[in-house]
Amino acid sequence: MATPTRPADARRESFEREALVHLDVLHRVALRLTGNAADADDLVQETMLKAYRAWDRYEQGTNAKAWLLTILRHAFINEYRRRARRPETVDVETIEPFVVFPAVQEDDPQGAFFDRLVDEQVLRAIDALPEAFRETLVLSDVEGLNYQEIARILEVPVGTVKSRLFRARRLLQARLYDYAVEMGYIQRKAG
Amino acid sequence: MNCDEALEHLYEFLDRELTPELEREVRRHLHACAPCAQEVDFEDTFLKFVQARCRAHGAPPELKRRILRELFGE
Repeated sequence: MATPTRPADARRESFEREALVHLDVLHRVALRLTGNAADADDLVQETMLKAYRAWDRYEQGTNAKAWLLTILRHAFINEYRRRARRPETVDVETIEPFVVFPAVQEDDPQGAFFDRLVDEQVLRAIDALPEAFRETLVLSDVEGLNYQEIARILEVPVGTVKSRLFRARRLLQARLYDYAVEMGYIQRKAG
Repeated sequence: MNCDEALEHLYEFLDRELTPELEREVRRHLHACAPCAQEVDFEDTFLKFVQARCRAHGAPPELKRRILRELFGE
């Protein structure tokens, strides 16, 4: 005779199926938020603990990834931000970054120079973005969330997501372009 | 739609966040305008590049073990 499933087993089984499968996503986002592996591990562990405790309040079959990312971000703001990062000193909404495409249009319009950069340079450039830009860019461009999902997680209007994403991408491009020029992968265009 | 208008919607176009009508207008402009099409391709390359570089690594196996231990005591 089969053993009837106990509620605790069912709870665990649904948590593993719907929440634990997002471990990689949480870890990537945590790494970019905290900027170091040890804090990222702790932040993910804490997020999973909080999520498991609140699991009965999660409506199964809805967006578990977004729900977990919201928990992760709150935990980050409350417990890690203060010690993890230097305080932001720039008004991020006023940054107007340099546009890369016109500078490479003649020599490398297909952006082949990106591929010559090493992972570490790319991650360092992302980590150097102001936090509001970094979290928006990671949720969109690394994890593929749409504007509406990002707006909910970050608790900002969709228009803010759009403008941050625009500036974040341009700023990141400009940094990567600078690296590529430094490394001699591409010639800086005069003017 | 002119170049400025098309480029203003560049990221929303690539993110597939435009209304179907606007998306059609941008697409029509890109068919007719090689420089704008080239710029959109460049941005598309950049976005794919960022995703590929950042998704190369998953969570460490030890972290998963740690979490399972913490949650279920194993």
